[in-house]
Formats: sequence, structure tokens, C-alpha cells
Amino acid sequence: MQKSDYKNMWVYIEHDGKTAAPVGLELCCELRRLCDVTGDKLYAVILGELPAAETDKVRDCGVDGIIQVRGTGYEYFNTDAYANAFTVLSRKYNPSAIFVGGTINGRDFAPRFAVQLDTGCTSDAMELEYDPATGDIQFIEPAVGGKIMAVITVPELRPQVGTIRPGTFKYAPAGRKAEIELIEEEIDFDPAAIRCRHLDFIPDEMDPELDIANADCIVCVGNGLKDSEHLERYRVLARLLGGKIGCTRPLYDRGILPYKLQIGQSGVMVKTKLYISFGVSGAVNHTAGVDADMFVAVDKNPDAQIFNYCDYGIVGDMDEVCDEMIAQLKARQG
Amino acid sequence: MLNILVCVKQIPDIDLVKMDPETGNLVRAGVPTLTNPLDLNALEAAVQVKERFGGEITLITMGPPMAESTLRECLAVGGDEAVLITGRPFGGADTLSTSYTIVKAAEMEGKFDLIFCGKESQDGATGQMASQLAERFDAAQISCCFSIEDVADGKIRATRTLEHGREIVEATLPCLVTVEKDNFYGRLPNLEAYLAAKTAPITTYTENNIDGLDPAKIGVPGSGTIVPKIYPPELPEPGQMIRTGSVKSDVGRLIELLTDKGSL
Repeated sequence: MQKSDYKNMWVYIEHDGKTAAPVGLELCCELRRLCDVTGDKLYAVILGELPAAETDKVRDCGVDGIIQVRGTGYEYFNTDAYANAFTVLSRKYNPSAIFVGGTINGRDFAPRFAVQLDTGCTSDAMELEYDPATGDIQFIEPAVGGKIMAVITVPELRPQVGTIRPGTFKYAPAGRKAEIELIEEEIDFDPAAIRCRHLDFIPDEMDPELDIANADCIVCVGNGLKDSEHLERYRVLARLLGGKIGCTRPLYDRGILPYKLQIGQSGVMVKTKLYISFGVSGAVNHTAGVDADMFVAVDKNPDAQIFNYCDYGIVGDMDEVCDEMIAQLKARQG
Repeated sequence: MLNILVCVKQIPDIDLVKMDPETGNLVRAGVPTLTNPLDLNALEAAVQVKERFGGEITLITMGPPMAESTLRECLAVGGDEAVLITGRPFGGADTLSTSYTIVKAAEMEGKFDLIFCGKESQDGATGQMASQLAERFDAAQISCCFSIEDVADGKIRATRTLEHGREIVEATLPCLVTVEKDNFYGRLPNLEAYLAAKTAPITTYTENNIDGLDPAKIGVPGSGTIVPKIYPPELPEPGQMIRTGSVKSDVGRLIELLTDKGSL
């Protein structure tokens, strides 16, 4: 296999038939930057029908081309048809890299077509760089719970496949190219050959307490929390501040708070005005998910990494500091 | 009777793994190991299926010889058979070669109707193994399974957790399932099973006794990815620490500062 035979980078545009998921657009924006460095062309790959207004959003992200796939098998997401489409397309066009948003379904099918293509697959990179000496993309990501950053490459095989978590890269459209190539492909996948069939979808009931992505204030509780009995005071503080509570991964793992409140790369990415962390150690995986105008950290360990990310830090017992904040805020409000 | 496979992994306690500041290598020596927590949820799902629909559970792992302790831990909870794949040539494998190796070894044990995996491992955390195993088993796949409604007539009906809701799906067997923990919290072994697991036979495969194993597809040579470099994360400059001598005055100062900056 000659690496130089493989050119151009692809981004999968995940959609539900109505709107394009933000992650595909975010990836187009980031890959535009990378393709300008590597000299590759950037193609967006759309499986099934997407309304024109949504396809226009893709065009605005600076893509050089769109690969539009039509045929049977794409009505609902299914691993079989979706993985097959990428395998067929990749064998025909030999892209250098394929990027897929690291959603639940993206993470389901991308590693699968990587096996079909017998190539390397990476997940959760936070930075993408290009090494001109090797022609390889460097997928840079936190590893071992955020203790280290690892550079991962696919040194011999192509395409280089990567899944990237939603919110990792900014949606900042570079603008529409004067000419955008349209490649139309008909790839039928026999619906009878879909081994895992969609029967029904039940949307979650909207619970405002679980919708923290854009909350004005977030009180984030970390693994320093002794047990669930100590949690209530943080809810009280959040209410006093007009905010919501969130948590780090260990609290979800410990079964104390639901996944939707887990802040960080593998949970929800938050943008907030005021962020106060209690008992959070500050692993990169978590801090990568926090975009706060004001960042306050409270932890008993003076060397905790979280203090490198805060504007103001207090070393102390998290419960004591929380109780004192409640007392003083209540006194202030009279 | 259902033939069920559960894939498990022994991992180092990542809270205790450190990076050698001189060499940049990870120091794992002396670090305690544990069974990947999400794999215990997968095992629980398998045990529930066995209890409801009948079946036999085979556990499989790849790792150093000491990974045997993870197999015994899982046997005590609910496994019937256990398979250890071990050998130096398997070392340094990424998911492409690990999935190849596990499927080749599993094929030595027969055909499986259901394969259960944790969603990801705490140490590698790629979350790719399950999908790649499913592809190599030529199996259907239900990822992020919330509940299993039925297994009958060569099919499994289940509910998946998606970002904004739940999807109900029906898949043909063989099918690989990764589970959410909501309904599959791990159970503790009873004493009798715990003692029996201590001496239970374990089938061991090495690079020498797996039929048709292609040495070019295992370990480092079979891997698609490499890790040419690791380094400590670059930390921003620390923020301003508030140290006034007491919690009360620290908090008072903080509230003043936040008020001045317009954050309150």
C-alpha cells in the first residue's frame, strides 16, 4: 500500500433527516484548517436525504466537495448499511482520512468500517496536527485518566479513521468556496440484510435540571464528595446562585448523579458564566469540557491540578466551604 | 440453549499510575489491577440473560498471565467457562489486532449467539473494541443497551440509550451487546461460587495453539495505530489562591471578588 495514493479528507455529516448534528459541522471547520496545511481537499459525506438549508450549512464550512449517497438502507441509523457505505466509498475514492463525530452511533459504526478496510482507528482526539515528515495526522488525546497526553498515528495504513467527541472543536465556518464539487453515489443496502432493525424511538422527557450545557452558573461536584448524603448542600448552593449542579465522571461511575450531568470530554461540554468546582481534581478530560467566564475551584489538596484552570481557588474542606458560601449568600440576600 | 461470550479486561488502577518525569514512560510496576468496571455490567447482563432464557457463559480475556485473577473474579459472579489469551507476541496490540486475536481464540470454543462487552475500558478508553469484535464475529450489534426485552427465535429485542431518547431495536443472533449500567449493576459472588472459582480450570491460548492465527495480524505488527509520543498535559498558570486564614474570611473575600467582577 502506498500512502501517497490516498488523498483528501472526509467528514461524515450525521443527521436525522431534518437537521445536521453540530459535530459534523464542527469537524468540517477544524478539518478545513488541517486540509489547508496538508493540501488535501475536504469532502463532507452525507448518507440519505438532508434538507437543502442544512446542506447549505455544510457548504458554509469551507468544504471542497460533498459526497451525497442515496439508496436503500439509510432511513434510520444502522451499523450494517452505514459501515458498508463508507467501505464502498473509501475503496472507490481512497481518502487519506475519514472523520466521524463521536456520538453514540458514530462510535458504533466507525470502528466497524475501519476493520472492513483493515485500517487504524483512533477515538477522542482533542487536537489534530500534521507531520509533514511522515504525512501522518497526529491525533493528540488525553490518556490514563488525563494524566498524560498521547500522540497517536496510523503510520502505515489508510484511510486514517478518527472519531471526535461533539464540542471538541469550535463551529466557526470559514465561508463557502466558489466551487463545490458534488459527487452523487447510489449505494443500495438491502433492508432485509440490516441485522439490527429500528423499531421505535422514545424521546427523553425534557428535564430542565439535566440540561446544563448553557446554564448561567454551574456548581460542579467531584470525586471529593464523601457520599450522596453530602450532596444536598451543593443543590442548595446552585439554587441560591440561580444555577444547576453538574459532576465529574467518578460521581456518575459511583451512581450518585446521572450521566447527563457529567461534564467533560466524554459527557456534556458546558458554556457558562460562573463555574464553581468542589472536590474536582482537574483531569484534562474534565476541564476540556468547561468554557467558563469565571472559574472558581475548591479542593482540599493544595496541589490539585484544578487550581491551574481556575481564576480563584480556595484550599479547604469542600462541605465546609460550601456551607459557608450558602450562609454568606443567604445573609447577603437578606 | 444460548451460547454466551463475555469479554473482560484486567486494567491497572489508573488513579495510581504515574508518569516517570525523567523517561516519560508510564510506571505500572506495583500498581494494583482491577477488572474493568464496565465489563462487570456486561457480565451482569449476560448472567441476567442466562437466568431468564437459559444458556452457558464463557468468559474471555487477553493479557498477561496474572489476568487469570480477573477471570476467576468473573467466574465467581456467573461464568461457566473461562479463556485466557496470553503471550508476549500479543503485547502492544491496539484494537485492530486485539479484536482479531480475541475472535480467533473464541472460535476455538465454538459459535456464540450473544457476545457482551463493556462500553469501554477505563485505561485505554477508546470504546472501539466492541464494534470491531462485532465486525470480526460477523455479528449484529446493539451498543449502549439499556434493557433487554426478549431473546427468542434467533432474535434479541432490546432498548438502547441514545443522546436524546431511547431506541427500541430488534437484532438477529449472533449479536454483540454493550450495556449501560442502569439495569445491570454488578452483583457480588456468593461464598460457594467464590471458592469454586478459585480452582476452576481455565483454558489458555498462546500464539502457538490458536488455529489459523496469522502472526502478522497480532500484537504490534497487526496494529493499525501506534503511540509515538506521550507527554504531560501543559497546564495553564495557576489562578489566584485565596488564603486569608479562615474559611469564613476566604469565602467572604471570594464573594467580594466575584461581585466586583460582575459574576454574582
